[in-house]
Amino acid sequence: MKKIALLALMPLMLSLLYACANTTSVARVHPEEVKGLPRCAECHTGQWAALNHQAQDFYLKHKFYAAQQREACSACHKESFCVECHAHKEEILPSDKYKERPELALPHRGDYLSRHRIEGCINPASCLKCHGRQNNERCKSCHK
Amino acid sequence: MKIKTAKKTGDPPPFASKPMRTVLLSCFLVLLLHQGASATSISGNSTTILRMREGMDDKNLFPLYEYLHLSASDTTKNGAISLEIGGWGRVDLGDRSFEHREEGDIQYGFLSYRANRNNFRVDAGRQWVVEGVATERIDGLSLRSDLAAGFTAAAFVGSPVVTQPNFNDGDLIYGGRLAHSVPKYYTIGISALRDEASPDAVREEEGIDLWLHPIAMVDISGRSTYNSLSDGWMEHFYTASVTPTDSLRFSASLQNVHYDDYFYHVTTSALSLTNGIILPGEEMWNAGGSIGYNATKSIAVSAEYNHYEYDIAGNADYYGATGSFGTAAGLAAGVSYHRMDGSTNRLRYNQYRVWAAQKFGPIDVALDFFDVDFDRSINGRENTFSLAGAAGYDLTPNLRVAADLDYIRSADFDNELRGLVKVTYAFGIGKEGK
Repeated sequence: MKKIALLALMPLMLSLLYACANTTSVARVHPEEVKGLPRCAECHTGQWAALNHQAQDFYLKHKFYAAQQREACSACHKESFCVECHAHKEEILPSDKYKERPELALPHRGDYLSRHRIEGCINPASCLKCHGRQNNERCKSCHK
Repeated sequence: MKIKTAKKTGDPPPFASKPMRTVLLSCFLVLLLHQGASATSISGNSTTILRMREGMDDKNLFPLYEYLHLSASDTTKNGAISLEIGGWGRVDLGDRSFEHREEGDIQYGFLSYRANRNNFRVDAGRQWVVEGVATERIDGLSLRSDLAAGFTAAAFVGSPVVTQPNFNDGDLIYGGRLAHSVPKYYTIGISALRDEASPDAVREEEGIDLWLHPIAMVDISGRSTYNSLSDGWMEHFYTASVTPTDSLRFSASLQNVHYDDYFYHVTTSALSLTNGIILPGEEMWNAGGSIGYNATKSIAVSAEYNHYEYDIAGNADYYGATGSFGTAAGLAAGVSYHRMDGSTNRLRYNQYRVWAAQKFGPIDVALDFFDVDFDRSINGRENTFSLAGAAGYDLTPNLRVAADLDYIRSADFDNELRGLVKVTYAFGIGKEGK
């Protein structure tokens, strides 16, 4: 009986918490067009100021930002942007798709087939997020 | 220590096995949330790619790809509803380039509602969920909303979208995240996920994530993830950066990975604990740091160092420097040197890169040279390099043609020449579609 009462109360509590939040949503589309690699601190303070796309460690840190405040990323980046690298199945490397954009921090440049044998030994954990459960069908041609 | 072996999964749960339910739910959401559109936008992007290269056994490969992304949205006084679909298809014009002559994939396809208040969001369909410990592609439903007193909650449920070349994944995945924020100073979250192959779990992970911004110049973020099935910490990964001036930035990172817990469940033998490469019982520490300095508006330099330490394998260091140069006139160039210094000859190489790109009105050209010099030969070759030249032309603001040639001398090919031609067309109507 207590369990049923708790289950019945939960939606009510969540509704109440939702109603009391009273925050304004992050803009779905960034009000101004942003070009190139932005330094968000030029206009923003607080949590958005940390999103400096030109910083040398942004590529390393962007996964933490995305996992905490993806609505901020979505203001400028559509889903099509993320799947360029974070794909379910993909046959073309991002660095091959965008040869005319050498300034971008894209993974697996150059002859990566030779190098992955080394980098895969050094830090295989960095491979898992993209290839552990997705985008790994080609692995079986060598890794039986 | 429990090592996962391939197994035949049971019947999927009723919810996960019926994508139709997702579609019906999407239609229900449309009916429920569509309250008279005030602004409709449709936008899309088509990229047609023809690749030209030589495969094994002197095969001539001409795979033709079409990537298509579509987005349609309606905004109302309370929020916006949108439909996002993206995918690709490939057909081989020459010899067979992969397992099948034709291949394709729906990368994402979901209906989304975002309210103007409380960051409330509902997504239904094939989507990429990124919430704390979860970085998953699912066919299902996700919700996210702000709650009272600075709390945020998110939840997701669906069928995992995976590729399964060696081992099966689960049929039903669900999880969520609860976080508390004081926007200018910190966010701390707890999250969990469970992936089931009925009735057993193949993954059960919990974690804590944080973002700290105690003063304007300091930014700390990271995550710790625990594997309940193997009863051990999978990973601790934290980064910190200090920006004393606009032009100077120090950063540091610390990562700790327990292989038994981290590689507990994968679908490829390339990353499994049974392949002889990923060593069971191994623990890795990776400590690193970097300094970035913008000397002028046009010149930036950075130096980085990473030290890897293992319980079983030998240690390794990776360090190097990068310099880049850019002008308002459309010139961008860069040079970098990195050294991978492992404990054995096999894990040692120097890596050099030089690149330059220049824009002349609607035309742009780029050159990229990437050289790797191994201390010990791989397949009889110590030096491998790739030299790429690319050019693009914007026929109109929406239509672009680009092509590149890539010459590669690798450990696997003596003289490989690859080409690619790409036509990109962006289209749209409405305020957001332009």
